[in-house]
Amino acid sequence: MDPTLETDTTDRRRFETGRMTLLIDRVMTWLIRCGGVLVVTVVFGIFLFILFQVFPLFQAARVHELKTVQLPQKKFTILGVDEWGAKPFLVEPDGNLLFVDYASGQVSEIPVDFGGGPAHEITAAGINKREQKLIVGTADGKYALVSPGYKSSTGEGKNEVTASPTATKFSDIGIPGARILDIAYGDSGSQKLVVALQDADGKKSVSAQLLKRKRSLLGAGSAEVATAFDLTPFFSGQPRDILVPATGDAVIATTDEGEVIYLSLQADGGFQKVQTFQPFGDLADSRVALVDFLFGDVSLILAAETGENRVFSLFYPKGASVRTFGLTQEFPVLPGRPSYLVSTQRNKAFLIGAAREASLRFRTTTSVRWQELLPFTATKAVISGKYRRILFLDEQNRLHFYELNDPHPDSGWKALFGKIWYEGAPEKKWEWQSTGGSDDFEPKYSLVPLIFGTLKGTLYAMLFAVPIALLAALYTSQFLDPNLRGVIKPTMEIMASLPSVVLGFLAAIYIAPLVEHRIPSLMLLAAGLPAAAALFGWFWSTLPIHLRKRIRPGTEWMVFLPILALLGSLLWSLGPAFESLAFVTTDPATGKKVADFRYWWPAVTGTPFDQRNSLVVGFMMGFAVIPIIFTIAEDALSNVPSALRTASMACGASRWQTAMRVVLPTASAGIFSALMIGLGRAVGETMIVVMATGNTPIMEWNIFSGMRTLSANIAVELPEAPHHGTLYRTLFFGALLLFLLTFFVNTVAEVLRQHLREKYKTV
Amino acid sequence: MTHATENSSRPGDDRRADYIRIQDFSFYYGSKQALFDVTMDIPERQVTAFIGPSGCGKSTLLRNLNRMNDLIDGVRHEGDVLVNGESIYDPHIEVISLRKRIGMVFQKSNPFPKSIYENVVYPLRVAGQNTRSVLDETVERSLRGAALWDEAKDRLHESALSLSGGQMQRLCIARAIANRPEILLMDEPCSALDPIATVKVEELIHDLKREFTIVIVTHNMQQATRCSDRTALFYLGKLIEYADTQKIFSNPAQKQTEDYITGRFG
Repeated sequence: MDPTLETDTTDRRRFETGRMTLLIDRVMTWLIRCGGVLVVTVVFGIFLFILFQVFPLFQAARVHELKTVQLPQKKFTILGVDEWGAKPFLVEPDGNLLFVDYASGQVSEIPVDFGGGPAHEITAAGINKREQKLIVGTADGKYALVSPGYKSSTGEGKNEVTASPTATKFSDIGIPGARILDIAYGDSGSQKLVVALQDADGKKSVSAQLLKRKRSLLGAGSAEVATAFDLTPFFSGQPRDILVPATGDAVIATTDEGEVIYLSLQADGGFQKVQTFQPFGDLADSRVALVDFLFGDVSLILAAETGENRVFSLFYPKGASVRTFGLTQEFPVLPGRPSYLVSTQRNKAFLIGAAREASLRFRTTTSVRWQELLPFTATKAVISGKYRRILFLDEQNRLHFYELNDPHPDSGWKALFGKIWYEGAPEKKWEWQSTGGSDDFEPKYSLVPLIFGTLKGTLYAMLFAVPIALLAALYTSQFLDPNLRGVIKPTMEIMASLPSVVLGFLAAIYIAPLVEHRIPSLMLLAAGLPAAAALFGWFWSTLPIHLRKRIRPGTEWMVFLPILALLGSLLWSLGPAFESLAFVTTDPATGKKVADFRYWWPAVTGTPFDQRNSLVVGFMMGFAVIPIIFTIAEDALSNVPSALRTASMACGASRWQTAMRVVLPTASAGIFSALMIGLGRAVGETMIVVMATGNTPIMEWNIFSGMRTLSANIAVELPEAPHHGTLYRTLFFGALLLFLLTFFVNTVAEVLRQHLREKYKTV
Repeated sequence: MTHATENSSRPGDDRRADYIRIQDFSFYYGSKQALFDVTMDIPERQVTAFIGPSGCGKSTLLRNLNRMNDLIDGVRHEGDVLVNGESIYDPHIEVISLRKRIGMVFQKSNPFPKSIYENVVYPLRVAGQNTRSVLDETVERSLRGAALWDEAKDRLHESALSLSGGQMQRLCIARAIANRPEILLMDEPCSALDPIATVKVEELIHDLKREFTIVIVTHNMQQATRCSDRTALFYLGKLIEYADTQKIFSNPAQKQTEDYITGRFG
């Protein structure tokens, strides 16, 4: 072998990269790449998951036909249904009930025992949906209560519904023997109100009976007529339809002339006319074709002969002391005269149809959940109690079962962001109130107050935190003695890692009660301390230079500190004196003059004063945000090349001029990042807000009232939200909003930051 | 000392030979002594060069002339520096006004991330001068003074960072002379520049000495011969020799000087 060649190869090997080095390099490259892709995937996955959870909120109702059953050719007065829509019934002219079993398609007639006596022709019927009871009226002026007697048994994965109807004896009402045209009843538990519309030889008359249940030692006795009323004098026109709310304390009647008359049962036992209104007075044909209560019996849905449908709700108009009906919603017009109008016992939806057009509509959001041209003309319809099935009876007496899939009828863009006229409210508003005391409560899912609360909390926190954090960062990085800087920076970093639940706890238990009594002191401090600092600065700069020289630059604060502490405690203790000087008002409870800011503020501004208010949140959230802004801003300021500071100093600039004219602009990108990260923290902050705000979803900028933020809302409500319910999904939508808000803020921040960095980049 | 006899100023010249008087000046970074009893007089409106190997204290001395070393923690000095007969360490002297009298150009060009215009007028702005016409006039005068006017006059409001390295250094010179200081300190102003830019700056120095007293620190002995009137050689914090440039480079009095300029150390 040639020795030179050998040296050559060994020589060359010297420059070769080791196998292990290459392998590790390659493995690490892949590992890092995988990690990166994984992170992106996970974030995207979370986004998708939330989106998937939120999507059903915006879906329309899906309705499809299940089955059709042919019924005997009879004239049925009413169509009723059980909760599941499994065994609907129809009232036959002889008073018997015809049950249709969904599962088998079997039609069975079950005779109803009215306690013997002759048979009567049934001419009218009404359903009290809450009690699941039926009232029937006869051609000879009698009425009886019928209960379908539904029982459900769950076994072998199937839900079997059986019916065993029972009825009361027939009783007389109003004009004896007069044909009953319409009948309705309400039952509050202690009293029943039955109202009947009768035709007495061409003259229409309205009568009411108040039934009271007698209680005896042996238990509940039978209902007895307590009082009978003749309501006919209340009508100037021809009465047409009659409704009684479930509470049994009022009568709503429409007339042929298109009027709606609202009578109320007074405490003294008499009826009084509260209101007469024409719901379609503005139309050419002002007649009311159909009327029904919506679930809860405080809203009326009225349909005009020409297809208009409007909702009137009971509320106290501004300044009024009596609840009256007022127009709150108007729905799209149907083609022609509506032939049926039914509401559900689940929510504020109603089903209305004209000719072959059927439409499912929702009061709260004024939305059409579903509308379709049916292959038949329906004469009657009903929605099952569980809002899962719709049943139509067509002209050929065929009963059509439809499946209804509409899990979130009360949601949608309008519900989340629109101004809505809720039941009982005198005007449209944005409101969040997800749960109520009763089943017929109308949930209010507006996210606007929550977004408002988030912005309010963030604003007050930033108002407090930004000046302090930025000035502190500027002072620490540019003026403070470098040795002290080395102590302060890590201290602030520890402060940043303080759990926010501790801050929230402090805020709620200690700060809020303290601040409540010391607002005037805080005002003095807020005005006095900055002024004192500025004054001291001016005073210091006028001192002769040989005096100033004694204090090393960066330690001047040591001179100021005792003054600050002294002044601080002085102003704090001067608070009560200031209060008795400036905030004297009348105590609303005693009527005496008191010096109390807590009474003065509502008296003067008209806005409330709460103990858990935005000021406290501003303080505490400020404390959470200050260390973050401080640390990042201080880094940015300290990272300004010292060459620039030196250059500025060499030009004869003072420390302040250098800081303001050179350091601050050069660090602007970093400072901007600091502000944005602080903002992000404040927007997403949860525990402090949950504990110190009172969580009231109100919409006012008042610094002395609370708020509810999106994040706190999720924390407070998610544990109580039924899985996959509307509230649950709406909370996820709130999470999505937070996600998007953060995404938006960060994107804008990054774009601006890049721009600033380009502008102020240094060599 | 025999400074007076070595002074090159001719009779009838109104330039002060001891415009800057450094007296027994010692300087310490913490416990480390960087300068040992330096005594020298720097003449008015001439170029004085400080040369010497790295770490010899020449930059330290320069930075003491406008008290830039005050910005460093834990430094102290002994002796005194007098400018035009006044001590710069006089407790009644405001360091900011001192720096207004003494401009400085640094080794690495350090323009502010602002426009060319704003860079030049910065010393005026911090002095409270905001009159547009004065600023405009200053920009033109200073940029002409720094031989940058022709290249920059059409882009005065562009970022200073868009200039080339040599242009940036001349911009820094323009900034240093904008407020008409009395003294211009230059700390290795050409060390980061290419030869062509260096020539331009050197020509500039030659022009500027008509108006300013210039003290320049340089590593480059050719530069010292080309543009300085007097040269001081430092070694290990001590002033070895201080004389007319011609004399130092042709006939040095000290053996160490000769060794240094002939390249035997340094």
